[in-house]
Amino acid sequence: MNALAPKPAGDAAVPLFELRGISKSFPGVKALDDVSFAIWPGEVHMLLGENGAGKSSLMKVLCGAYTADGGQFFLDGRKVEMNSAADARQLGVAVIFQEFSLVPYLDIAQNIYLGREPKGWLPGTIDRGKILRDAKALLATIGFDIDPSTPVHRLGVAQQQMVEIAKALSQDARILVMDEPTAALSDRETELLFAMIAQLKVKGVAIVYISHRMAEVFSLGDRITVLRDGKKVAEAMPGQSSPDELIRLMVGRNVDTSYPRNFAAEPGPIVLQVSNVSSPNGIHDIDLVVRAGEIVGLCGLVGSGRTEVARAIFGADKTSAGEIRIDGQLRSGGPDKASRMGIALIPESRKAEGLALIRSVGDNLVVSALQKLFPLGLFVPQRAREESGALVRQLRVATPSVKQPVGLLSGGNQQKVVIGKWLAAGAKVFIFDEPTRGIDVGAKAEIFALIDGLVAKGAAVLMISSEQAEIVHVCDRAYVMRDGGIVGELSRQQLSEENIVRMGMHHA
Amino acid sequence: MHEIALNSPTTRIRRIPGVAVMLVALVVCFAATSPGFLTAPNLSNVLVQSTVLLLLALPMTLIIMTEGLDLSMGAVLTLASLVVALVTLATGSVLLGLLAACAVGILFGVANGWLVAILGIPPFVATLGTLGMAQGLSLIVSDGQSVVGMPIAIQKIYSGTVAAVPLPIWMAIVAYVVFYLLLYHTRLGTFVFALGGNRDALRFAGIKVERMLIVVYAIGGAMAGLAGVLMTARMNAGHPTAGLGLEFDAIAAVAVGGTSFERGNGWLLGTLLGVLTVGVLRNGLNLLAIPSSVQVSCIGVLVIMALFFDGLRSRT
Amino acid sequence: MTDTTKILPGGARRLHISADVLQLSYRLLAALLICVLLSLLTDSFLSLNNILNVLRQASLMFFVAAGLTLVVLTAGLDLSIGANVGLTACLAGTVIHVTGSPTLGVLVGIGVGAAIGLANGIMVTALRIPSFIATYGMLWILQGVAYWYMAGETIHGFPPGFRQLGSGYFLGLPIPVYLLVIFLAIGTVLAQRTTWGQEIYAIGANPVAARLSGIPVAARLLLVYTVSGTMAGLASIIFLARLNSAEADIGESLTLPAIASVLIGGTSLFGGVGTVFGTFIGALILTLVLNGMNLLQISASWQPLVTGAIVILAVWLDRMTRRRAF
Repeated sequence: MNALAPKPAGDAAVPLFELRGISKSFPGVKALDDVSFAIWPGEVHMLLGENGAGKSSLMKVLCGAYTADGGQFFLDGRKVEMNSAADARQLGVAVIFQEFSLVPYLDIAQNIYLGREPKGWLPGTIDRGKILRDAKALLATIGFDIDPSTPVHRLGVAQQQMVEIAKALSQDARILVMDEPTAALSDRETELLFAMIAQLKVKGVAIVYISHRMAEVFSLGDRITVLRDGKKVAEAMPGQSSPDELIRLMVGRNVDTSYPRNFAAEPGPIVLQVSNVSSPNGIHDIDLVVRAGEIVGLCGLVGSGRTEVARAIFGADKTSAGEIRIDGQLRSGGPDKASRMGIALIPESRKAEGLALIRSVGDNLVVSALQKLFPLGLFVPQRAREESGALVRQLRVATPSVKQPVGLLSGGNQQKVVIGKWLAAGAKVFIFDEPTRGIDVGAKAEIFALIDGLVAKGAAVLMISSEQAEIVHVCDRAYVMRDGGIVGELSRQQLSEENIVRMGMHHA
Repeated sequence: MHEIALNSPTTRIRRIPGVAVMLVALVVCFAATSPGFLTAPNLSNVLVQSTVLLLLALPMTLIIMTEGLDLSMGAVLTLASLVVALVTLATGSVLLGLLAACAVGILFGVANGWLVAILGIPPFVATLGTLGMAQGLSLIVSDGQSVVGMPIAIQKIYSGTVAAVPLPIWMAIVAYVVFYLLLYHTRLGTFVFALGGNRDALRFAGIKVERMLIVVYAIGGAMAGLAGVLMTARMNAGHPTAGLGLEFDAIAAVAVGGTSFERGNGWLLGTLLGVLTVGVLRNGLNLLAIPSSVQVSCIGVLVIMALFFDGLRSRT
Repeated sequence: MTDTTKILPGGARRLHISADVLQLSYRLLAALLICVLLSLLTDSFLSLNNILNVLRQASLMFFVAAGLTLVVLTAGLDLSIGANVGLTACLAGTVIHVTGSPTLGVLVGIGVGAAIGLANGIMVTALRIPSFIATYGMLWILQGVAYWYMAGETIHGFPPGFRQLGSGYFLGLPIPVYLLVIFLAIGTVLAQRTTWGQEIYAIGANPVAARLSGIPVAARLLLVYTVSGTMAGLASIIFLARLNSAEADIGESLTLPAIASVLIGGTSLFGGVGTVFGTFIGALILTLVLNGMNLLQISASWQPLVTGAIVILAVWLDRMTRRRAF
């Protein structure tokens, strides 16, 4: 499978850019494992893989943000070094991230030439005429007809993306790496982008294009590389493959541990009921139920609206329509009300949203339970210590003392503290958003054992995860999201990685 | 080909800035209530008196665009106004006095920038600290007394005319043009937008972000120094409380003028209109015999309203 | 996971000096050092009169800074406290003068202070204006009102019973020192021994996590700014009793020293770290420094300079130690 596909029909004798045996490890994870592929001039090279397959690591290597542990790079057949952002720019590799590097209140021309402005007649001044002319000419080469003195904050997402691309080209980029460029675009904007990509191909620019949309993989791609578990598992030409085959290649990731789970024969009554909920941040018509003693998965691609659903249920984001009920009672108000009704959110980012890192393990463990533990409002440190000490023992949090700042614990132990916080509060609905992100394998099993223990005691659990294998192993049922809506529900029997990916992808 | 509708009638109406509406409303209001308002001498007076404020508000615009603040400007102005008076008296040279005042201003500006950019102290606290220091130094150098007996040359800075136009108005014009060119036609100006809008983009482009911040604060200090000279000329003396609270009028002018405390969204013309708004407000209230203390309160309310509406706009 | 079983929840019995206690002892040591230095350098420092005077001044400073401590604990700032003291002193002074009832004056002072604090809280929570700029605007509004209201006048001469609050003695100690003990106790209990206090620390340490932990953040911020305003109102009463007169400008030079007291006392400008007791130590250190300058016959003109430098130094030290921690 690893054999290189034939070189394209063009006149180039060697690939424009080639990676050979690129590897990159982080403690506990092999993010990239011996990845090799070649990019030919004037070609769109599609990069496909599940969440966490290694695409973003590869991108960071390509823009010089990560230095590869092993492997070689070749530009025009010559071996080159790639150790920093400056190296990447020097070699003509430019990465267009989903979050833009543009300055909102500068105009297009100033953004394109930021830091490299043409000098005017006085020292320190900018040659306005030249910068506008240059920008106009550059924008014309990619077929983007707009006044270069338009401030960037007035542009739509697609137009900002084109400015990014123009900026990259102005630095003589020959290899463009695009990360899901159509994710935020309307159909019309997508057409514009594709027209521009066609122009770039004519100019001999090579494009590495990361996508989750099967339709564009086949319509736009000249060559497809599939990544899984940090490894390249296949390289194919669009004409010789099919969406079904590619999906089969993408899934089936190795999961190091199987998580033992006792599936209840009969789930309890409905605890969480979400009916027809929409919110201004992009989710619409969400219907779901979670029963007592059930773990329900919420899957879909990153950005499909899973986290937004979790936040809406918890009251962290306002809803514009629909209702959320806990044990039949309507939930209203913000997170303070939600937590009093027994809802718990274990957010995706422990450090930014889950914990007060400078405060102690004990303080963090009781913070949500203050009203319950001290109904009179008088805080008794001794009582808090007993409570948090008991939780530390129950959850087996590895900490020298409850007085240890929680920021000094490992990721797995921090996650236990976040869970413990809600155990102390006596929550009955737990929403986990990527509960195992950044946690090593052993701790993952422990976290899942904890979750299993929760449902065994009758809690209702909604679990968001990008690890399809986890969902398949752990969940009783799962909902699949796409573009802010729920597109389907999979029963225990239907749950498979392939089904999840197929439902979550576009036009698959 | 795919130009977005930048100039549709609705967007154009919405883009009529609030500060212009407010300025016109105030002018109409005062013209109706006090007969002395809409006279040539009074309007000229408004312009001349607004000059000191403009000299502070222009650099304050840049500083606020970098998501910073300089609370020390009024105190630095005071110190500079004392320094120019003392040095001129001691040496007899107005030029030396002027240079010394600017040097003091730049020194404080660099100190502010250094505290903010290098030591990472939040701007409002760092400049509150230097405010105290400048205030203290003012008391020390003046011993709490006014410095009087200025040579006629100092007075001329404020009362002189060139081509029948008062000198301060010329200064205001020059200052505005210089800052306009600085913000919109120099690399530094571009960097000011980026310092507030996307600092990482600037860093990625290989620009030394910290150095640029220090330069911006130093410009603020230098302008406070110049404004101090003008203040001494206006009062014909150095006074240890000359600039008390002037930084607040400057912040008010910038905020009312539509420059935002976030994302590097600045508008220099807005600041000019903001300065005129504050100037007209003070002048009009003076004519209505409303005490200066109430004027300060009015400006306080104005600032909070401006920030509230700015927050509303950025949220929608 | 065998190592988890060895864990000692509750910190076990071994001698455990918490970081807070350590920080406080450093500061007490610094205060002591200044005392030793001043008693060596001057003759008058160790006199009973001077020591009582220092205690009284530190108490007054503490009243202004105590409420501010809570605000800074939430990573906010209240720049309006000085102006608040100024305006409430004038209003309370008028009430006492007109009605002859100190009780009524005290109630008005505390009430007005609380209302101003509440207004600050509303600007920060409901209008979502950053605290430093909202309270800065408030500073000028209050100052304007105070100057307009007083129109350059001074209210002078209060009932002797009332003046005891500021300048009287009981069992050889100034009355403000007793008030200090009472409010230090109240502040410490509020911060350390109530659920509200715990929530205030949590908000300062990470406002996003606090909200997602179910803490009613807006309600607590409202509380904190109101307490800060109330304490300013209370401080204005004691200043009134001490000075026996009210002028529009009595609060003007109080904000910077109050911020300095809070920061020297070890409360972090970045939120979540600090104690009310620390602020008392901070107020004591600042008073000692200013008193020492006085005794050493350094002109009072130097005071704002030194205070400003102390503020910057304190924030810088805080930044340095924090950077090391995480």
